Amino acid sequence: MTMDRRTVLGLGGVATAGVVLAPGMTLIAAPPPDKTEASSDQRWAMLIDVNKCDSNCTACTKACRQENNVPLFGDPNRDIHWIRKLEIRDKEHRRPSVSLPVMCNHCENPPCAHVCPTQATFIRKDGIVLVDKHRCIGCRYCMLACPYKARSLVYHETSRNEDSNPEVPIRAKGVVEKCNFCVHLVDDGKQPACVQACRNEGKHAMIFGDLNDPQSEISVKIRTVKTQTIRADLGLKPHVHYEGL
Amino acid sequence: MLSNFTAIEGRSFGYWKLVTFFAVLILMGAGAFVAVEIHGHGITGMNNKIAWGVPHVFAISMLVMASGALNLGSMSTVFAVKQFKQFGRFSAFLAIALLIGGLAVLMLDLGRPDRLLLTMMHMNFTSMFTLNVFLYSGFIIICFLYLWSMFEYQQYTKVIGSAAFMWRVILTTGTGSIFGVLHAREVFHSALTAPTFVALSLSSGTAISIILLVTTFKHTKRRLDDIVVFGLRNALIFFTLLVAYLLVVEKFTKFYSPAFYDVQNWILTGPYSWLYLLGVWGAAILIPLGILFHPSRGNSVKGVLWASISAVIGTFALVAHILLAGQAYPLNMFPGYEVSSVFLDGVTATYTPTSVEYILGFGGIAVAGIIYLLGIKFFRMLPDKAVAPEGYELPWNP
Repeated sequence: MTMDRRTVLGLGGVATAGVVLAPGMTLIAAPPPDKTEASSDQRWAMLIDVNKCDSNCTACTKACRQENNVPLFGDPNRDIHWIRKLEIRDKEHRRPSVSLPVMCNHCENPPCAHVCPTQATFIRKDGIVLVDKHRCIGCRYCMLACPYKARSLVYHETSRNEDSNPEVPIRAKGVVEKCNFCVHLVDDGKQPACVQACRNEGKHAMIFGDLNDPQSEISVKIRTVKTQTIRADLGLKPHVHYEGL
Repeated sequence: MLSNFTAIEGRSFGYWKLVTFFAVLILMGAGAFVAVEIHGHGITGMNNKIAWGVPHVFAISMLVMASGALNLGSMSTVFAVKQFKQFGRFSAFLAIALLIGGLAVLMLDLGRPDRLLLTMMHMNFTSMFTLNVFLYSGFIIICFLYLWSMFEYQQYTKVIGSAAFMWRVILTTGTGSIFGVLHAREVFHSALTAPTFVALSLSSGTAISIILLVTTFKHTKRRLDDIVVFGLRNALIFFTLLVAYLLVVEKFTKFYSPAFYDVQNWILTGPYSWLYLLGVWGAAILIPLGILFHPSRGNSVKGVLWASISAVIGTFALVAHILLAGQAYPLNMFPGYEVSSVFLDGVTATYTPTSVEYILGFGGIAVAGIIYLLGIKFFRMLPDKAVAPEGYELPWNP
């Protein structure tokens, strides 16, 4: 059988249209189910008192690394930081510098989730912004969108060692990940690792809790002391609050 | 006025040498892709601050040019510029070839390209990427239909060509909006980023069309009247001026507000200033305009060709500047404060691309190149001679 060019063109067009449209049909036929069992009765948030945060202390960052199997590759440009310590100082150097931890702010309007083409980044009902690492295609658009530089691509293969936390998966090469408020601990009624570590150091600079519970420590604090969020002007409604900034 | 459309013979040693060259580049690109798949993006120069690098510069530049490649078709179908009607098939076909080349690079650079289909199964309609999945695939379909109508059903050409024109404007707006909508990035967050991409597509698409038409007609020994090239030159002049206008308006607006002094001064004097001044203003705007407005060079096909080459290089430079400088500029998390950390907060990001990235990018160009070469051999894409309508005169010359 021979085909003339007209037929080839026609078949090519039909095939292209089929490839493009078929997955869309799947989407219409089978919308994704609800993603988690978390409850919207809670709204998890964090409050960090920078007055209590010591610039020499890195207990929170170490605890995060240990708990979540976050590796260091030895390259400052590629190392993964789910939480990091920042030193900030006014440009005129009139006031002393301030040390504070910065992580994913679990925004109510997260630009990372808005730009994610596969909904790999999504907001759980309780406000925690999560990444489904099995759905992330590694496009890194979220890394450009996040104003807090809270996201890292895993540039190299990672592996388990004797120090790895067996309860948490290792970080996946080619996927973008970030702080998840230690969701596995929160779901067990525990505090995130950074908050526990800060408390263990006797600093008590970090409070984690439910903003929907008016009696929670964090709710009381946010009602009674002056707090602020980073880049509140962007309208993202971050849920990591700072006192003394 | 119009001559017949014929496929090129494509039997010469030069033709097959070029096809082989592109095939080798594609193989090398495939090798680069496999290497990144195995070793991860650690073998590229990209990092957590410059997450989009050279492959994205290649990909997005080609996507912008793909939209622009439709210029000749649009000018004849929508704006009734008769002397470009003979390039309608070439125009739609080139648009498809460039789009496929660009998309190939974009997709093969993903951290997990094996999950690509998830973009169509779990769509997020607030994402510019998701919208672009529709815009790009729709563009291929509409260009294909446009091409088909020009071949077989010319009664539909006007309708489909007009739809293609609207689609391409939306498509390039979508590409520019990938950057323009990101509030966190001071270098490229602007309502003018998308229109600038549209203008850039007009200039770069015209430029790449001039380059390919002049070289293809020369090597296939077909007649291409100078007046036809000069018509394209006039279009290139005004499209380039449009890009310059939008860049000036954007700079003027930003420099009017003290809040943007830091970032604007950084663009003009920082580590990427050479790219902005030489690449964007030099290669994309001033050199092409300097040549095209020159009384003798602007009136020679060779001059127009060189101006077009410069415009294409400038297109890559503009996209590179938006992308690389846009990411290198430190995020302004605490306006008015100096910031430092082990994650290199507060400092300009560094980025040294590796050969893997360039090979992947050139592989994408080779994909477009080989599609073009095979297309003009197996289909009647080009007129056997390109002449202007009888009595036609250009409204003006430099």
